[in-house]
Amino acid sequence: MKMNRLWELLTNNRFYKSIFRHGYPDDEIKRSEVVTGNLFLHIQPVKVHKNTIRTGYTLGLGLISFYLFIILTVTGVLLMFYYIPSIERAYNDMKDLEFAVSFGIIFRNLHRWGAHGMVAFVFLHMCRVFFTGGYKSPREFNWGIGVILLILTLFLSLTGYLLPWDQLAFWAITIVANLIGTTPPEKIMGASLRQVVLGGTIVGQNALIRFYVMHVVVLPLVAAALIGVHFWRIRKDGGISRPAEE
Amino acid sequence: MDKKEETVIFPKNPNKTYGLMELTKTKSFQIEKGPDNTVTSWPHLLFRELILFMGVFIALMIISMVFNAPLEEQANPSNTPNPAKAPWYFLGLQEMLAWAHPFWGGIFVPTVVTIILILTPYFDTSQKGVGVWFAPERRIANLLFTIFIVLAVGLIVVGEFFRGPNWQIFWPWNMPSPH
Repeated sequence: MKMNRLWELLTNNRFYKSIFRHGYPDDEIKRSEVVTGNLFLHIQPVKVHKNTIRTGYTLGLGLISFYLFIILTVTGVLLMFYYIPSIERAYNDMKDLEFAVSFGIIFRNLHRWGAHGMVAFVFLHMCRVFFTGGYKSPREFNWGIGVILLILTLFLSLTGYLLPWDQLAFWAITIVANLIGTTPPEKIMGASLRQVVLGGTIVGQNALIRFYVMHVVVLPLVAAALIGVHFWRIRKDGGISRPAEE
Repeated sequence: MDKKEETVIFPKNPNKTYGLMELTKTKSFQIEKGPDNTVTSWPHLLFRELILFMGVFIALMIISMVFNAPLEEQANPSNTPNPAKAPWYFLGLQEMLAWAHPFWGGIFVPTVVTIILILTPYFDTSQKGVGVWFAPERRIANLLFTIFIVLAVGLIVVGEFFRGPNWQIFWPWNMPSPH
């Protein structure tokens, strides 16, 4: 009884009703308004096929990837308050995050393990879609978007890998840069690609700022836009794949 | 219910173009069961999504409280670790570098794999077995993809755990220190 009165007090007023125009979603129309009346939810349909919510079908892998992307965005912005992309400062900023900044180590750990997790879960999501035949018509295009999102995830992770400016970062990026340098014809194409990526001949200040800008602005924006397209196309292509109905 | 009873409940009106066709016995209205076997997103889908988010966040939080992200010595261009390794997701490519000219493993294979992946649905057009895990009708496609996964993951495992100084093969428990 008391809970009911509290609920009444909280929801039966002009302020609450100005935000949530529908009442408690206890019928189908109000339930549809929960979705259509909310900017963040309305990319989803009001009704979904029962197969869509079958945990054993999707295993939630795509959604987990998306959640990790959200967590990475939030923790990444927090880390940006402390990190300065300079070869003199970067490594010390990492040490500060670890030992001086309140909860700095937690945010760095969330960001690092979240990034590894995102690479793994995007890959697992691709495996799920393949093994259930979800890439087939009419979802061919969305499968292609997904493959590009996997590559973007790899590049997001790679560009972030350099930022701590430790031995692990420096030599990993040196290897990848040398790999890019083998694009044929090596003397022309490979060398210039390597130059573009590093902004020089070795991994130095120019490479660090390039990787930083790619990591915190360019790639996240492109990925966010493509994630939007990816979700929108799920609806346009008839929802998540499911067995043909008898 | 016979016809007579129906006309009593719903008398025929000659001024209307519609009328009662039939009364049938069912348990109830089609509550929670849309015309195409659908359910409303709220609460069925959105609630599950919320639970999953909490699960992901809690799991990641626990991992982050138990394990610290690696941080080695400050970058030093004059001190090359042996072996220097790429991030784990690129170790499959680095492993292939050891076999032939780096172009083949580092550029050619990933480019071709990406193109094949994107084009797969345009060649594999059969609609059989869609929506079913490991459908028997899709045995060949699933087999090919499994081979791809085993190769990709296998190369990463070899690169991560079995390659030591000078990119020589070592057992993981025999691995010399990289410095």
